Amino acid sequence: MSDAQATGLASTATLVEAVARGNRPALKRLYGLESRRLYGIALRIVRRPEVAADVLQEAFIQIWQNAQRYSAERGADGAWLTGIVRFRALDAVRKYGREVLSDDPGLGDEAQEPDIVGRLAVEGEASALERCLGLLDEQQRRCVTLAFVDGFSHAEIAEHLVAPLGSVKSWVRRGLLALRSCLES
Amino acid sequence: MIPEDREELNALAGEYVLGLLEPMQQREVEAALASNATLRSAVAFWEEQLHPLSSLAAPAEPPADLWNKIAARLDQTPQVSARWWNRPAPWRWATGGFAAVAAALLLYIALGGLPSAPHYIATLHSPQQQDRTSFIATVGRNGLTIRMVTAASPPPGRAYELWAIAPGATAAQAIGVIPENGVLRVASLPPDVQLGATLAISLEPPGGSPDKHKPSGPVLFAGAIESL
Repeated sequence: MSDAQATGLASTATLVEAVARGNRPALKRLYGLESRRLYGIALRIVRRPEVAADVLQEAFIQIWQNAQRYSAERGADGAWLTGIVRFRALDAVRKYGREVLSDDPGLGDEAQEPDIVGRLAVEGEASALERCLGLLDEQQRRCVTLAFVDGFSHAEIAEHLVAPLGSVKSWVRRGLLALRSCLES
Repeated sequence: MIPEDREELNALAGEYVLGLLEPMQQREVEAALASNATLRSAVAFWEEQLHPLSSLAAPAEPPADLWNKIAARLDQTPQVSARWWNRPAPWRWATGGFAAVAAALLLYIALGGLPSAPHYIATLHSPQQQDRTSFIATVGRNGLTIRMVTAASPPPGRAYELWAIAPGATAAQAIGVIPENGVLRVASLPPDVQLGATLAISLEPPGGSPDKHKPSGPVLFAGAIESL
């Protein structure tokens, strides 16, 4: 497929392949396609728009640098992009802390915990995760979600759930192992 | 250490993807990813499977000028080639670049490490933080000096050990264990450790790896020896 064709299609994986060949218009298309989703992920973790913007900028630079390596290795799709943004956001939280300076209730200082079961974008891949999350204990499920979606550390989860740190660590582990065996079955 | 036990490894990979590991543990996992296929597939499993959870974060509009800022940086940002990445060694992320070397040298001098006529310099990075110099080594007539710049100290009961991999070599040579103060001086180097060789640092027991030709722990930092 030519690069022109690739940039004409709105598929994340195809665009990353074109980016891997050094195609800048494809990176711009990818930005157009994914930036709102990825910015939302970053903002949820860092809570500060200016920090989230930096995170997104660094993430797209990293995507540009590493696309070739990843598309050669395992195929790079939405999950790959999400991983890059989440790790950049977690770095930023470690570096700058997680002050909330905004009065915007949409960015509140409390993690919002929707009833996740039933709220995931329910399409194929999500339904297995949803079913398996539904089988976890409530505490295990909240630990996994708070870590993945809000980027909380063990200590932040413990504070949020008003639970001992040791319990949180063990809920995470047991939750992960139960999830894995459910997802594989 | 990366566990052998499958269940332990899966839990560790899950905690890594969730972002729950301490920085040192996280670096260990990142360093091991290059050489440990089981770990790599466990991490890929969690990234794929947990990905739908990210839809719980509501999409939002990034600042309007952000794309232009990104586009303006692309000229200065070379792409990492797949072939480079696939070089068969855990220290394959080792890289250099004139700008990085110049900046590192300034930093080195600023830290009081005025080198006595060094011929070569190496900046060592962790694979995930190419923009942050963790160690700087200078090589000259007086041998090699390596100095810790921004790396965290090794965890209690462990030590950093310096290795050299000669150009084209497949095995490493142990150079020495880095003392607690973060500075190691070596009066003479093996003759094939010269321009183009790679320096790497692994996490080891206090006396270093039992095998003097192979790290026993993860390789955390690496960089190529380059001319000044």
